[in-house]
Amino acid sequence: MDALIQLSDVTKRYDAGGHPAVDRVSLTVAPGEAVAVMGPSGSGKSTLLNLIAGLDRPTSGTVTVAGQRIDTLSETGVARFRRQRIGMIFQFFNLLDDLTVADNVLLPAQLSGLRAAQARARTAELLAALRIDRHADAFPARLSGGERQRVAIARALVNRPVLLLADEPTGALDTATGEEIGELLRDLNSSGQTMVLVTHNPDLAARYARRTVHIVDGQVRSDVVIGSSTDLAGQVLP
Amino acid sequence: MIRGPVSRAVRGGLTRRRVQTIVIGLVLLISTGASVLALAIVVDSNAPFDHAFAAQHGADEVASIDSAKATAAQLAATSKLPVVTAASGPFAEVTVAADISATPGCTPGPGNPCLIGGSLPPMTLVGRATLGGQVDDLTLQSGHWATKPGQVVLDGSGSGPEVGLPLGARLVITSAPGKPTLTVVGIASSITGSAAGWVAPSEIFGLSPRGAPASAQMLYRFKAAGSSAELTADMAAVARALPVGAVSGSQSYLAAKAQESGNIAPFVPFLFAFGVIGMVMSVLIVANVVSSAVVAGYRRIGILKSIGFTPGQVLAAYTGQAAIPAVVGCLGGVLAGNLVAAPVLAQTASAYGVGALAVPVWVDVTVPGVMLCLVGAAAVLPALRAGRLSAVQAIATGRAPRTGRGHIAHRLLGRLALPRPVTIGLAAPFARPARTAVTLVAVLLGAATVTLAVGLSTSLNMVVTALSHAKAQPVQVFDPAGSGAGGGLVHIKGPGGPQPPAISPAAAQRAIEAALRAQPGTLHYVAEADQQVSVAGLSQQVPVTAFRGDASWTGYDMVTGHWYTGPGQVDVSAGFLTLTGDSVGGTITILSGSRQVTARIVGEVFQGGPQLITDWQTLAAVQPGLAANKFDLGLRPGTSEAAYIQGLQSRLGQQYPVVSNQRNSTVVDLMIGLIGTLTLLLTIVAGLGVLNTVVLHTRERVHDLGVFKAVGMTPRQTIAMVVCWVAGIGLIAGLIAVPAGIFLHGVVLPAMANAADVGLPSNLLNVYHPVEIAVLALAGLAIAVAGSLLPASWAAATRTASVLHAE
Ligand SMILES: Nc1ncnc2c1ncn2[C@@H]1O[C@H](COP(=O)(O)OP(=O)(O)OP(=O)(O)O)[C@@H](O)[C@H]1O
Ligand SMILES: [Mg+2]
Repeated sequence: MDALIQLSDVTKRYDAGGHPAVDRVSLTVAPGEAVAVMGPSGSGKSTLLNLIAGLDRPTSGTVTVAGQRIDTLSETGVARFRRQRIGMIFQFFNLLDDLTVADNVLLPAQLSGLRAAQARARTAELLAALRIDRHADAFPARLSGGERQRVAIARALVNRPVLLLADEPTGALDTATGEEIGELLRDLNSSGQTMVLVTHNPDLAARYARRTVHIVDGQVRSDVVIGSSTDLAGQVLP
Repeated sequence: MIRGPVSRAVRGGLTRRRVQTIVIGLVLLISTGASVLALAIVVDSNAPFDHAFAAQHGADEVASIDSAKATAAQLAATSKLPVVTAASGPFAEVTVAADISATPGCTPGPGNPCLIGGSLPPMTLVGRATLGGQVDDLTLQSGHWATKPGQVVLDGSGSGPEVGLPLGARLVITSAPGKPTLTVVGIASSITGSAAGWVAPSEIFGLSPRGAPASAQMLYRFKAAGSSAELTADMAAVARALPVGAVSGSQSYLAAKAQESGNIAPFVPFLFAFGVIGMVMSVLIVANVVSSAVVAGYRRIGILKSIGFTPGQVLAAYTGQAAIPAVVGCLGGVLAGNLVAAPVLAQTASAYGVGALAVPVWVDVTVPGVMLCLVGAAAVLPALRAGRLSAVQAIATGRAPRTGRGHIAHRLLGRLALPRPVTIGLAAPFARPARTAVTLVAVLLGAATVTLAVGLSTSLNMVVTALSHAKAQPVQVFDPAGSGAGGGLVHIKGPGGPQPPAISPAAAQRAIEAALRAQPGTLHYVAEADQQVSVAGLSQQVPVTAFRGDASWTGYDMVTGHWYTGPGQVDVSAGFLTLTGDSVGGTITILSGSRQVTARIVGEVFQGGPQLITDWQTLAAVQPGLAANKFDLGLRPGTSEAAYIQGLQSRLGQQYPVVSNQRNSTVVDLMIGLIGTLTLLLTIVAGLGVLNTVVLHTRERVHDLGVFKAVGMTPRQTIAMVVCWVAGIGLIAGLIAVPAGIFLHGVVLPAMANAADVGLPSNLLNVYHPVEIAVLALAGLAIAVAGSLLPASWAAATRTASVLHAE
């Protein structure tokens, strides 16, 4: 199968013997999909996303992304993998306060050794597309929440990742701004960007993602595909 | 001391800042240990002399009196002078030349050395009725006091060749009419070396050379005797009270003291420099830790206050965090200092005969006391700020994002064509100017210490080479039959020792010179005679070296003036100038027996102790039978020293030892070892200061580190970035440290030379060469990188995923 993400029986325990944060999860995501992950607070959504991004390692099970086993990669290997294949956005933006907007966006390209001219061109293109080019030389602290999240999205996309991971990208934004970011993400998906989106907001999930995975206590409770335009089997777990 | 909530808050702080706790402990351990060691050596360099001087009521001045010019009554009256607290004398004195008579019928064997004869350099004998006295209360080491004619008691603590003669040895006084014989009946010691030997007062007149002026010595203790200026004034008062010319010379206890403690005195300047540097670094590092804990803990302080902590309790909680590891470190340092000092002091004591030494108790108490006070002040200041902060203000300050600072640096550095992790790292120090400054000073001090240490070691090695002349004259040949103090005196013989050759000295020397000319590889050679002479105005004998022929190549470094160019000229050491108060350009009168010659001082040579160097003719004028005891040889370039020595030895035969002129100085080796050890310790302290800064920074930047990780920074890039946080500081500190270290070298080395009473040739100061300077300039960078690698790898290995999801 040409899956982009393949989790097999993944378990993550923070404390040996304690309750697992992610409990025997198997999940497959195909290229081009937009998956919303939902669940109560503390159910293991962020943990799951970290495992996919290679920011954390599973206690057991395997994580394969874009054909690569990332649970067995070295720290350096996983960092390279991340900057080439993955873009991440967060609820609280996680921009670097000391760097300008443009420098924040440039950073992943610079870390992966892209030539300076190319990196600048790509950054300018993204800043323009996300309508934040006039803030290029400003520092993140001066920007509004929505603008900051756009900078984060630009930074996530600068290396043309195959997978975009978003952890409650609208959680810190007011409703209108949240909608705006949601639209942006949907447009990205329409143009072929695979993404996994963690959200508390059922509305957002329903409107912008065709597939919704429900997690409770670290286990997948349901995995629903809405609409018929997909060849993936939609199933409802008991 | 601290109870309840405060102690719990302290413990909470300690466990959360384990690295800083360890750093404070280690830094104080090292600097306390080093200071204890340094101070112990400094103190013990003076203690043995001071003790003995007090116990023996040592004479502040020993005055030589021309007996013809002052009556006994006039001399006795000087004890009533207001400046004088005690006086003793007059004791008749005489300078004699003596031969040792061979033990008749003695067969040398193991444990049964025999005297085989030999001549002693001129020595001063004093007629004294008793051992004790108000001044210069002699200590009898063995035997008994000289009470009968024909008996002599020798000074066992002196430096002349007569030291070591056993009881029962017999001296033939060749300078006195009828060549009377004296038998050694006792060995005593005078702390100031007021005489080489003592005889019964009635004996002295029979020992005087015919026609020699009668002379006596007066021993004085003064009210004010702390400095040579005071002593000079005191002696002037004595001289004024007596007829003109009655005081023909005098010698202060300072010379004896310098001789006793001279080996350790040069340690004082560099130990002082290193000690001060260590203390400053400790204070900086502790201040850095505590103020960072306060800054990082603003929110915590606010919370502590909002739940009812008083300012005093907050102060206690934050100083307590530093106080506990500081006290533990200090105590450990005292222990370590004592452990290290024991062998160092033992080595010093045994090598230089200054008695058993231990770290004085007051040093063990004072050093940690001072350290803790300084560190306490460094901790209390930032903690006071924490105590005064209002709860609301503290919580707000802790939360507010820092903006503005460092932005320009980031922008400018971002333009550089360097990898991004490097430029981000380099910009970091600008966000925390105070911490950056403290770290910079700590690294600067560490790197300056390295520069200083390298310079001192180079200079000291050059000193040893210069003093041994090993470079210019790598090989020496000894003639046991020659006269003089150096090689001529073989008065005690065990089995198998060199036999004096059966031919005349002159014939022997012709034979040696013929062999030297014939031996391939000889570049040049010169005959040397080492003798002791008197100098007008000085009561003690002075070593003199005379060369036969050109000796300007023998490797004496000139401090000022020039090498002698003919008869009547003399080069002297700084020690001689100090002793006499003369200077280059002045004239001295050299006396030996009843002869005298005047010579002009034309230069100061680099040599320890009092020393005269002159040409053959000048010394032969007062010592007509002068014979060389040694030949100094320079070799042609490319000649193998070992092969040369072997070849010459077989040509000369065993009776003339051919030796390699080795660099040999235990004192300097000890110094270099100590400098190396202290430098290592101080650079470790500087490195710990860096480590501390990096850990503090990592703590603050843990969120940023998580972000860097999330966007794909590899561990190696993370390490590079973290190292660059301090690499720029290290580089700049290193660049400043080189001139600072060179400056310190220019202060410390002359101070050491001054303490050792030697002048300093300029080549010993100019030891820093461009290549060395370039390497030394990187010392700061090296310290910074070494200190940051460990915390950088911690930062690279930390899992930071969870901070990304929290605010
Ligand atoms: N670094 C960590 N160490 C220990 N336990 C952790 C860590 N991170 C998360 N957990 C625990 O793992 C479980 C899952 O946490 P996770 O953050 O994945 O939940 P979540 O679904 O993202 O919650 P939320 O919606 O509140 O963000 C929780 O019980 C949490 O306490
Ligand atoms: Mg979460």
